[in-house]
Amino acid sequence: MTNANRPGGSVPLWAGLTFASFGAVMGLALSDAIDSTTAMILLIVPAALFFQTMRAANRAADNRGPCSAKGEAQQRYIKRVMVFSSAYLVAIALQVSLLSDSDPSMAARVALALLPAFAIIGVFWAIGRLIVEEQDEFLRMLIVRQALIATGFALAAATLWGFLESTGVVVHLDAYWWAVAWFFGQFVGAVANRISYGTWGAL
Amino acid sequence: MKNRLKVLRAERNWSQQQLADLLEVSRQSVNAIETGRYDPSLPLAFRIAEVFDLAIEEIFQREA
Repeated sequence: MTNANRPGGSVPLWAGLTFASFGAVMGLALSDAIDSTTAMILLIVPAALFFQTMRAANRAADNRGPCSAKGEAQQRYIKRVMVFSSAYLVAIALQVSLLSDSDPSMAARVALALLPAFAIIGVFWAIGRLIVEEQDEFLRMLIVRQALIATGFALAAATLWGFLESTGVVVHLDAYWWAVAWFFGQFVGAVANRISYGTWGAL
Repeated sequence: MKNRLKVLRAERNWSQQQLADLLEVSRQSVNAIETGRYDPSLPLAFRIAEVFDLAIEEIFQREA
């Protein structure tokens, strides 16, 4: 029982670090202490911490059973997310180095803008494939629920911010921040799953 | 919906993981069904009935 409790005990720590790092990056970005490119790179930190939170939570949940390896669908999902996260980092690095050193053509600027966008879209696709491929109906329901909560969270945040921005109360935000809000909403969805169903889910 | 999953599992001395393996679902699924947090689909309810060699209504009952 002690062993079972140990990994679960690290969940609040990882979740707290996720929240803190996300808040720190957002705070720095909104106060113009760092530019948006730096913020997008730094967001890898809360994303990685969120990933670790979910791993710790799943380890804690799985510890009661003798062997509870992740399903094939989840393993494929993790691999896909790792590929797209790596592609995102490479795309941002390319963007930073090429845009700062020279004044590239319009076509090159379009390509440099689309590369990180497609990497993020790849993560959305990976979540969609997980929903299709997950054979466990309960886990599938948790993933769908988490994604719906994230969608509601991001749409609500975008609506609120948009109206506040139109009245000059808050600063302008680039639209890709709503994808960031959606990923943060996944965390909110995981907490909601934990409260309602006793498990953090599979994402 | 109420169910007798926990009692039936205890009678057979199965862990949640063993039952999950027999049903080819996650242990979280078994736990959620046992605790009444999640009602399984009809196909999964049939699989549960097959594993316990009982009729569905002998495992699942409507709340009074």
